Amino acid sequence: MRDLKTVIAFTIKDMVKRKSFIISTIIILVLIVIGFNIPNIMKAFTNGEESSAGDKMLVVDSTNLFEGTLENLNKMELGYEFQITNDNISFDDIKDKIEKKDIDKAIIIEAKEDGTYKLRYIVENMTQVSTIPEDIINAISTMYTNLQISKLGLTQEQILSLSPNFEYSIEQTEEQEVSGNLVVIMLLSIVLFYAIYFCAYQVSSSITTEKTSKIMETLVTSTSPRTIVLGKTIGIGIVGLVQICVIVGVALLSAKAFLEPELLNSVLDISKFTPYLAIITIIYFILGYFAYALLYALTGSTVSKPEDIQSANTPVAILAVIGFYLSYFTMMNPTSELNQFAAIFPISSPFCMPFRIMMGIASNSEIILSIAVLIITILVIAKVAIKIYSNAILNYGTRMTFKDIVNVYKDKNN
Amino acid sequence: MGLKLENVSKKFVGKQAVDNISFEVDKPGVFGLLGTNGAGKTTTIRMLLGIIKKDTGEITWNGKKVERKSVNFGYLPEERGVYPKTKIYDQLMYFAKLKGMSQKEADEAIKKWAKVLKVEEYIPMPAEKLSKGNQQKIQFMTAIIHNPELIVLDEPFSGLDPVNTEILKNVIIDLVKDGKYIIMSSHQMASIEEFCTDVLILNKGKTVLKGNLKEIKEGYKANKLEISTDKNIDEYIKEFNMELEFSKNNEYSIKIDSEEKAHKLLEKLVNNHIEINKFEIKKPTLNDIFIEKVGEF
Repeated sequence: MRDLKTVIAFTIKDMVKRKSFIISTIIILVLIVIGFNIPNIMKAFTNGEESSAGDKMLVVDSTNLFEGTLENLNKMELGYEFQITNDNISFDDIKDKIEKKDIDKAIIIEAKEDGTYKLRYIVENMTQVSTIPEDIINAISTMYTNLQISKLGLTQEQILSLSPNFEYSIEQTEEQEVSGNLVVIMLLSIVLFYAIYFCAYQVSSSITTEKTSKIMETLVTSTSPRTIVLGKTIGIGIVGLVQICVIVGVALLSAKAFLEPELLNSVLDISKFTPYLAIITIIYFILGYFAYALLYALTGSTVSKPEDIQSANTPVAILAVIGFYLSYFTMMNPTSELNQFAAIFPISSPFCMPFRIMMGIASNSEIILSIAVLIITILVIAKVAIKIYSNAILNYGTRMTFKDIVNVYKDKNN
Repeated sequence: MGLKLENVSKKFVGKQAVDNISFEVDKPGVFGLLGTNGAGKTTTIRMLLGIIKKDTGEITWNGKKVERKSVNFGYLPEERGVYPKTKIYDQLMYFAKLKGMSQKEADEAIKKWAKVLKVEEYIPMPAEKLSKGNQQKIQFMTAIIHNPELIVLDEPFSGLDPVNTEILKNVIIDLVKDGKYIIMSSHQMASIEEFCTDVLILNKGKTVLKGNLKEIKEGYKANKLEISTDKNIDEYIKEFNMELEFSKNNEYSIKIDSEEKAHKLLEKLVNNHIEINKFEIKKPTLNDIFIEKVGEF
């Protein structure tokens, strides 16, 4: 136990003192603060421009088809400042006005020979606009319809009966109700995946570094391989957890400090982040981290050159990606049986279950089963990883093949 | 008492690394473990330190089975290694604590040994800034910092300059005076001859020679004559039917099968008024014995 504490303390100290760790953490934190300030920065730039109230749109109704009713466009909050004219203004005149920045866009309403009408939408450059905005077409069409109806001499009641007055609602046939913004949940799932994956990866590179620097022989005569693997895994896990808590903390504080409350609430329902969910997420982070970190300890101990780490770690990386995508894609249909399976299957459950809980669709029995399966998996991986580590760490030279690993596992050395 | 290996064997996949070896280190001093590359020295060391398990046999320290925790040992592996980015003080403290020392004890020991090994200025530095020789001295410190009873040194002098070799030799002499049991594995026969009272030579996992070094050498007949004269004596060597190993500036190294023949040559030279500057009948060195026994050079 004393040795375990010594290994944990040394691992933590060694990691947080590394320049690469300090610099990368600072860069992430700065990027987060900058990221949450982007709306403010953009606002600061656009504030200086005159057209802050929206683009100026000239509507040319030279035939007076709308009989002056087009003025109502400005009351519709379409995001434009409409200038209505009945003068016959040519395309060239409009071009001139756009170039002089008197207006940004224009609509010309023209009568065709067959008695129909044509709307010409004039913009400075078509690369950013390919169609006439639908809300403008709808507004103008409705306005024309209303004008024509009013000419029919109908009573107020008859006019009202012509307009749809429906109330809309959405309901589901399944009993489980899903809550939460799916996009945000998926985003958080990606964050959790990367957090677990990169922390676990550190264990592999730490073990290979010790093998590369040939310190392993001194180390294994000083304490047991079990203590080294567990101490290293716990130490790196603690650093990773603290780092992620700091990053998430700074992100939440930045969101509160720099984002407008309406914008924040529209994407993230803070009320969903209960202490229970926070604890569950941390538990899944720890368990997920342990499962993957121990797998990485296993692969890390089979190589002795830094250039071999990547290829040795590929099977674990593939496993992690399968686990993540199983969780990620089934989350689009969170009530499906496949998502339920992903929440219990140990390679995907750390990326899946916290979000099922967040969406309010995970039952207590599911949560207990999922955690139990994950813990049993970790114990099995730990047993195998420690045994292979014990027998493989003094193997220098070429990377071990799968057959070598099996032989090493069967070896009676430990 | 001391360290005892009895009929110890170890087989790796398809290879008998150590085959039924036995030896005993029953009093403080330096025990030499010799062998060519791949002879089984490192496997023997790893087994006696409990890093790997033996297949058969017994290894005991003071009558108790050897386990990592049961023996207070220090180990300087042949594969030199330090944490490159970590400060020397931090890594020495780490290993000292793993060996059961308190912070205070470790701090005092680091200061003491840094002074003895003349590495005080490097203690606050990261290991990557040190020369190879100084890194080796730091590793030697790691092996002895916790005052172990049994010390295993695998090639302790390789890569050291003469000044540092001398420093290390003096430390080893002091450790022996302090009653430490030291097992030294080396290819430098001169170092082994200088320090070791007993030796064991391994070849392909098997013991080819073991025992007290002095007794072993006494068991060998003189086999070499070194002679230095003022004139060329090639014709006399031919006359006595002797095999010349090499000659340079009237200095000769001659293989002999008996001391008597050497004395007869000397008599002849004196009678012919040849001035003799040096006449030495030599017994085989450890190097000669090693080559004879291992026979691979």
